[in-house]
Amino acid sequence: MEFILFLERKNVNQLDRRQILVAGALGALVQGGNVWAAQPAGAAFRIGALNPITGSGANFGSGMQKAILFSAEEVNAAGGAAGRKLEVFAEDDQTSPTAAVLAAKKLLEVNKVQAILGTWASGVSLAVLPMTNTADAILMHTSGAVALADPKINAKKMAYRYQGSSKHLSRAFATAAKKEGLTRPAVMAQNNPALAPHAEGFRKAWIADGGKLTDFVLYEPNRPSYRSELQQVLRSRPDGIILSAYVPDATAIVREWAQLGTPMKWIIPGFGANVDFIKGVTPEVAEGIVVVESVVNEKSGAYARFAQQFALSMKQAPESNVYAAMCYDMVQVLALAIEAAGPGADTVAIAAKIHAVTTGAGTPVDSFAAGKKLLAQKKAVNYVGASSTIDFDDENDVDPTFAAFTIRGGKWQRSYPISG
Amino acid sequence: MDLLWFDYANLALNGLAEGLMIALPALAVTLVFGVARFPNAAVGDFVSLGCFGALAAHRATGGSIAASLAGGAAAGALGSWLGWKLAFQPLMRRHGLALLLTSIGLGFVLRAFMGLSFGHEIQLFDVPLMKALRFGPLLVNPIDAMVACFSLVCMGIVFGLLRFTSAGRTMRAIACDMDLARVVGIDSRAAMGRMWVLSGVICGVAGLALGLKTQVSPEAGADLLLPAFAAAVIGGLGNPLGAVLGAICLGVMQELSTPFVGFTYKIALSYVVMLLVLLWRPQGLFNRVQGVR
Repeated sequence: MEFILFLERKNVNQLDRRQILVAGALGALVQGGNVWAAQPAGAAFRIGALNPITGSGANFGSGMQKAILFSAEEVNAAGGAAGRKLEVFAEDDQTSPTAAVLAAKKLLEVNKVQAILGTWASGVSLAVLPMTNTADAILMHTSGAVALADPKINAKKMAYRYQGSSKHLSRAFATAAKKEGLTRPAVMAQNNPALAPHAEGFRKAWIADGGKLTDFVLYEPNRPSYRSELQQVLRSRPDGIILSAYVPDATAIVREWAQLGTPMKWIIPGFGANVDFIKGVTPEVAEGIVVVESVVNEKSGAYARFAQQFALSMKQAPESNVYAAMCYDMVQVLALAIEAAGPGADTVAIAAKIHAVTTGAGTPVDSFAAGKKLLAQKKAVNYVGASSTIDFDDENDVDPTFAAFTIRGGKWQRSYPISG
Repeated sequence: MDLLWFDYANLALNGLAEGLMIALPALAVTLVFGVARFPNAAVGDFVSLGCFGALAAHRATGGSIAASLAGGAAAGALGSWLGWKLAFQPLMRRHGLALLLTSIGLGFVLRAFMGLSFGHEIQLFDVPLMKALRFGPLLVNPIDAMVACFSLVCMGIVFGLLRFTSAGRTMRAIACDMDLARVVGIDSRAAMGRMWVLSGVICGVAGLALGLKTQVSPEAGADLLLPAFAAAVIGGLGNPLGAVLGAICLGVMQELSTPFVGFTYKIALSYVVMLLVLLWRPQGLFNRVQGVR
């Protein structure tokens, strides 16, 4: 009896496993089939807005997502692109690659988006890019990591960067350090795929120019204190510190420095020294800190439209979030490329048109609506965006203009432009 | 560059400050493990909750530290007690794994709740930046000194409670053998409830300490979870004094290692130490081997 029972149980188990296998395989087939199914002409073009609503990018993420939404509304109000309305699915990447991969999987497989827009942290973009590649989806991001331009990583050339890459930012920092009269700076950088290469790039640019560094410290994020790191850097007696950090760690480090009371010149990227940073360290401590940031394309019509809508929907100063301006441009560019590729085009054909509508000798336009009219007359267009002139190089990178600001009275004051 | 004795002493001081900061959540971890027999992964989120409670009280009273302490402790205790009532109590007789998974889930719920209620922007206690106190070449940050005082006083009270009050005795009794404790007439549910409130108060105080030292955000406390676990394991899970000493050892060792291994690997070092302790003394540094019951 025992034996028979055992046999029966074993059979049941085997059957279960087989059933599960068959069901799994069928499920995968059905799922896969859907992912690859061609989109009928006239169907909506689905966009995933994958932004850092929480985590260390939280200061920018909500504004970025809002910009994608109102930019898409603008396109839809102009009649859509190539007869297709844009439909936006919003997700939070939590500024964490793990969370971003789950969210991207959901966007690509459940919502069947054809483009993911607005990933911010480099770790996130690096994690999402292989997934968009597999799904033949377009990725537009604002991450700095040089690796994102690597031909092996951006294998299908369907990823586009709207922010200066680390190499641009490093050069801008070296220029700023020289202009500020530093002769023996030290570097502190968070150990992550964008900030560490940025710091390394600065070191190379600085040393190639004949300069010397007193110390070079990489630190881990999310620590309760950066005291030991700071004390080591100060021991080397630098005349300035290049701090490559996000807002939480930049705030912590500069606060600890203020408690130690050693005079120091700081140069910090804009994404680390925004309004919240100034509030966090107090305006008195922030006084005189130099901030290097890519600047929006203030004089363009696109920027004027972006700024008006951003101020309305976010109740924040539009210049405080350059990434939101980049996200606004992403949608406009994508819509122009869809329009240029014509009705029913797939994502590969659309991606192939992105260079054509942004870079080159076409008539400058500052909105999708204006571009659509010209494209209808078979004229070439060149989109001039809110964040920069949006001209992509061979690696799909833009080369934005940077500027140095000095914090005075709790506000960034523009000091001088730095060309890329 | 050669480091002088006071450079090492400064590193040790930084490590001590960090260790005392970690000691509170480590104490909460070890208390729950000792009494309820599962590793509570929501400890970090109770710390964040305490952070927000303290911040709210601080703002409402125009900057009173005593009120922030009360606010933090109250928020931590309330969160922890609700967690016990709604999530853990119904599962109490289940396997520790079920409770661990529940605590992970509870952590997610708490983080989402805090994100929705208070937002994800970084918030700070509006305390004036104080200059570091100098004792010759040694530097002590006044906030660190304050945080260390909170930790020490809080630990003193917890040890007193566990040692000298009947509530503490009942807690230790159910930690020792829950069924036997019930047989001799201890109301194990009530004692368990008190333990959760106590662990919540500890988390709340840790929240205030963390908020004063760093920044307030829904994720702030969760970053303390792993170091707190490591400290509790090193000291011997279930041993309150061990958890505190473990945290201090870890903090000091981590900072003192930086001249040799650099700042990126100092965190890994604490887990290497944990592994070595587990190999050499699996019961933890401060626990005795117990006979199998």
